[in-house]
Amino acid sequence: MYKLIQNEISKIFLKKKMVLIAVLLFLFIGLFSYGEKYTYEKTVIRFEEITQDSTYDWKNLADQQMRELERRLDSAYISETGIRSIQIQIEQMKYFIENDINPITPSSARFSVNFVENAIILFIPLMIIILASDLVSGEFSTRTIKLLLTRSVARWKVLLSKYIALLMMTTIVILMIGVISTLESYMFFGLAGFDEPVATGFNLVNGVLDSNSVIMVNRMEYMVLIYSLAWFVSMVIASITFMISVLVKSTAASIGIVMASLIGGQFLQFFLSDWEIIKYFFVSNLNLIRYMTGSYQFIEGMTMKFSISVLGVWSLLSIVVSFIVFSRKDVLA
Amino acid sequence: MDDHVLNVDNITKRIGKKEIIKGISFHIDKGQIFGFLGPNGAGKSTTLRMIVGLLKPTSGKITICGHSISTSFTSAMANVGCIIEEPDFYNYATGMKNLEMLASMSRNVTRKDIFHAVELVGMENRIGDRVSTYSRGMKQRLGLAQALLHNPGLLVLDEPTNGLDPQGIFEFRELVKTLSLEKNISILLSSHIISEIQLMCTRVSIIRDGLLIKTADVKDLLSSSEVYWVLDEPEKGKAFLKERFDINSRLKGNRIEATMDLNELESVNSSIVQEGFGLKYVNSKTRTLEELFLDLTENQEIT
Repeated sequence: MYKLIQNEISKIFLKKKMVLIAVLLFLFIGLFSYGEKYTYEKTVIRFEEITQDSTYDWKNLADQQMRELERRLDSAYISETGIRSIQIQIEQMKYFIENDINPITPSSARFSVNFVENAIILFIPLMIIILASDLVSGEFSTRTIKLLLTRSVARWKVLLSKYIALLMMTTIVILMIGVISTLESYMFFGLAGFDEPVATGFNLVNGVLDSNSVIMVNRMEYMVLIYSLAWFVSMVIASITFMISVLVKSTAASIGIVMASLIGGQFLQFFLSDWEIIKYFFVSNLNLIRYMTGSYQFIEGMTMKFSISVLGVWSLLSIVVSFIVFSRKDVLA
Repeated sequence: MDDHVLNVDNITKRIGKKEIIKGISFHIDKGQIFGFLGPNGAGKSTTLRMIVGLLKPTSGKITICGHSISTSFTSAMANVGCIIEEPDFYNYATGMKNLEMLASMSRNVTRKDIFHAVELVGMENRIGDRVSTYSRGMKQRLGLAQALLHNPGLLVLDEPTNGLDPQGIFEFRELVKTLSLEKNISILLSSHIISEIQLMCTRVSIIRDGLLIKTADVKDLLSSSEVYWVLDEPEKGKAFLKERFDINSRLKGNRIEATMDLNELESVNSSIVQEGFGLKYVNSKTRTLEELFLDLTENQEIT
């Protein structure tokens, strides 16, 4: 078994997939951290221009941003959901100012978390798709599956070794994101900020922010927490992509199916948020991190516990279906 | 029954609504080179795929060295090496890396075994190159090497000379014959090329539309020869042959045609003369497997 897993891992490396993922991460994280530095500097300059005051202080800026949000609330053209989303943001900003938590100055610790927060619904799944989509279907399209399934190894073992290799590589990808985003953004910001306090555990009660359960942790602890969530989500994506890769014969089709569900699922959330069944779709539950930051929910009644259970069920079903289909499959290729 | 290297017992295969294999039985003894002959689409590949576990038979039983492939798959497969259709490999890896990965999937295959297999197929010089740089012939050799890694008792080769040039075919044939002689490996090979079967195999099954039409030793198939006589009294001659030698003959114009062992021809001829027939002409010819094959499969529409 150990040797089988080793084989699968060496196939992933021989195909230079990890190199591809590392390069993509490096480029995109570089781009984002440069972008964040750029906007931050712009904001500071604008702040100084408006207030005619050269002593920049994050509290003043936060105060100003809060007032800006309040002004937007008065606009007549804003939708019901928009109002609630802004209200939540204002409440949070208030809390930050009162408790002396800096939400503005970019630091490498903050960036690496923000990056994952934004990447969790599409970018990270995409990296996992690179790993998983051809894991089984690739063997069929190159017809090398014949070599694997005519050895004296049970089929389920062949599949299990692939799955374990995939989970290991997924874990490495998440670690890579952490390391690359921390180091690369540090080069831009020059500020690590791992000991900064972070407020987490905002609750939404009937669409209103409840800060009673907020706890203060430092950035390092928060980062570990967020990355664990990202790791869990990646495992789910990996399992689902793995199943698709077992079910379809062509890699292009498996990439297409997973991409379409990811993008289509996001749309469904936006447009059909009151359709009950949407919340049981895995894509609607991918953004676990928003439960930590207390951002606006499209669909009511979804909690961290609910989402984790839904994702758990999806991965479990994926694994079961993969193993059943694979061990019964007729190999005609 | 258990001393057969391979025993195929009345297997069928249905894919969708179509019954592709309609009940095939045969067995292979130790050291035998067994040919599987049939036109394209007859079910050769499907049968071989069932034997190596890629397809599951709808009914019937396959045992390899006494192990049923449905109940003890791993012990059965430990005795089989195969090339099914194209020799496909991980093109992005070297030949050696491919073999190493496949070797690690079998028990007790040492580096020495790998080198031995490479040596056997004469790939020492190129084994460190990526498979994507290999020619068709080299891939075929590598295919044979991967099939031989774990010293199997049975080698299953599906249309092994497809796409090889004449030189390649010749080398491949010699290699397979050597394996069978020196290592006493049983070989099951399928082909639609009759001359290939005739040159390599000791026993052959002719398959058509998912059914075995005939299974026999190649030697026997070829030694049964067509003989015809031209006599002055064909009707009486036919009766005489039946009565005296138990030879079933048929009349075609003024010819009496029969299939018989050529060794007896001399005594048959002298009896004909002694009996007082006017023997104008007698002729015999050895049939090739090709004629036999066409004979057996002719006049059948594709269904």
